[in-house]
Amino acid sequence: MKVVVFENVSKVYRTKYYEVRALDEINLEVRRGEFLAIMGPSGSGKSTMLNLIGCLDKPTKGEIYIKGNPISGLSDSELTDLRRDTIGFVFQQYNLISTLTTLENVELPMIFSRRNSEERRKKAEKLLKLVGIEEVADRKPFEISGGQQQRVAIARAMANDPEILLCDEPTGNLDTNSGLQIMEILRNLNRRGVTIILVTHNESLKEFADRVVRLRDGRIVDVSSVSH
Amino acid sequence: MYLQLAIRNLGRTKVRSALAIVGIIIGVTAITSIGIFGENLKHIVLESFGDIANEVIILPNFKEGYKIIDEKTIEIVKKSPYSSQVIPVKTSSEEIRFRDKKRVATVYGMDERAVMTLFEAENGTISLKAGRCVIGKVLADALGVKVGSKISVDNHIYRISAILKKEGARFDITPNSALIISEKAHKSNYTMVIVKLKNLDEIEPFKDFIEKTVNLKKEKVDVIEMKRILDRINKAFNQVNLFLMAIAGISLLVAGVSILNIMLMSTIERTKEIGVMRAIGAQKTTILKIFLLEALMLGVGGSIVGSLLSIAGGYLITKLIIGRAVSIFSITTLFYIFGGFFFGIITSVLSGLYPAWKASNLEPIEALRYE
Repeated sequence: MKVVVFENVSKVYRTKYYEVRALDEINLEVRRGEFLAIMGPSGSGKSTMLNLIGCLDKPTKGEIYIKGNPISGLSDSELTDLRRDTIGFVFQQYNLISTLTTLENVELPMIFSRRNSEERRKKAEKLLKLVGIEEVADRKPFEISGGQQQRVAIARAMANDPEILLCDEPTGNLDTNSGLQIMEILRNLNRRGVTIILVTHNESLKEFADRVVRLRDGRIVDVSSVSH
Repeated sequence: MYLQLAIRNLGRTKVRSALAIVGIIIGVTAITSIGIFGENLKHIVLESFGDIANEVIILPNFKEGYKIIDEKTIEIVKKSPYSSQVIPVKTSSEEIRFRDKKRVATVYGMDERAVMTLFEAENGTISLKAGRCVIGKVLADALGVKVGSKISVDNHIYRISAILKKEGARFDITPNSALIISEKAHKSNYTMVIVKLKNLDEIEPFKDFIEKTVNLKKEKVDVIEMKRILDRINKAFNQVNLFLMAIAGISLLVAGVSILNIMLMSTIERTKEIGVMRAIGAQKTTILKIFLLEALMLGVGGSIVGSLLSIAGGYLITKLIIGRAVSIFSITTLFYIFGGFFFGIITSVLSGLYPAWKASNLEPIEALRYE
């Protein structure tokens, strides 16, 4: 079963003075439960691709299907629902809400999906335990390390049990050891059936993926399977 | 959780939030205090008119050339089924002498019982029998007379039986600078009839009655309702009060602009956070709610304190300007307090509306890229 399909997708950014073709005629299928790494140099279109999969942006041309449904005709509200229920985001900068504790940060997506407070709390505690940082539940993001913040971000991304987890350079701001721990967590989530799409320019992380898609100048230049 | 989020968001810019609240406090206190003051002023002014709402005055129709009210008209009025008391009044302007002092003053000719009904004596006992008269306080002081003094009015001597208490403003007769003698002793014609009706509902039937009797052939008299005059005064005071409150409202408007500014700054500062929330599933309406909740909290905080302070403020202004505060804890005052409270909240929420709308309409991708 394909969870993400790109069909002749192009994305062009236009300004008053110039035009940038970030993605050019991309065709790609991502299977359920796959761990896909999108790699390439800066400006190759990796993040644009991730934003399109995450329904944060719309293609200029072509169609994207999430779980078989085209997203081009969806309203802002429907796209938000799709992000909330089907897709989880892990950012390079963690992007936690500084005024909330780590536990509350994990609860946040569940608030948006209107789950009751007891259910939210239990689930958030379970997720913090899953990523190994239940002891920092009451701390604010600025009171914990970068590695811990990224774990909180993963726990938050998993709050509504998404089928797809989008990770944009999740180890980019971490030391090697913390980065490996984060990748282990992602691998474990993938083993539980979560489709993971990882954007990175770190070659060493391809070992965690099932398949690697290489981009250059907005085009797919190579797709290769990784043998474990 | 949204409430907690709003509290914490306001908490991270404590000084800024506190200043916004101070603005609302000043605005709400100003509006409500002035409202309370105006209400007190109106209350005190209307209080001086006494219980005259159910009174009507019949005057000659000057427009048609009538200058007096004839005996026949008075008899008809006395027979009206709606009147509880009919007081015919004669009026003239005379020179009054006491020893070497003389003053020109209004001299009323009235029934003794009517004088007793309408006025109170400060000194002496009201009596208009056998050459006696009563005198208004201001005129008595001007002439230097006392109870028992003999004065001369149009070459007739009257002994003062009582000096009347100083009266507030009235629409029928003003006794402070006047002399009152008996109806029989007064040689002029009737110029006014004061009619006390059984209740307020009788005003219209009474006017109809006059139209169908006295004014049937010719418009001989005018009927003036005290209630209508009082209503007009009331309305005028309400308008003045509204005007004063509108001026005070400028301070609340300034507070609203301050909230607008703060919220706009907050929107810019939290652009990335808004992007993150949108990315993880917050609908536009959720962002709108969070920002409006923050504006609401500023409004509620400021309005509660402002409303409480306005009780003291209203009392102080009234005490300082009028000298006494009569209706600080009345229903109307409560109305102003609640009015000020809700006005403060509405101002805050309206001020937060644009920033909240702006925040909720940020494109998630653009917001996430914001540094």
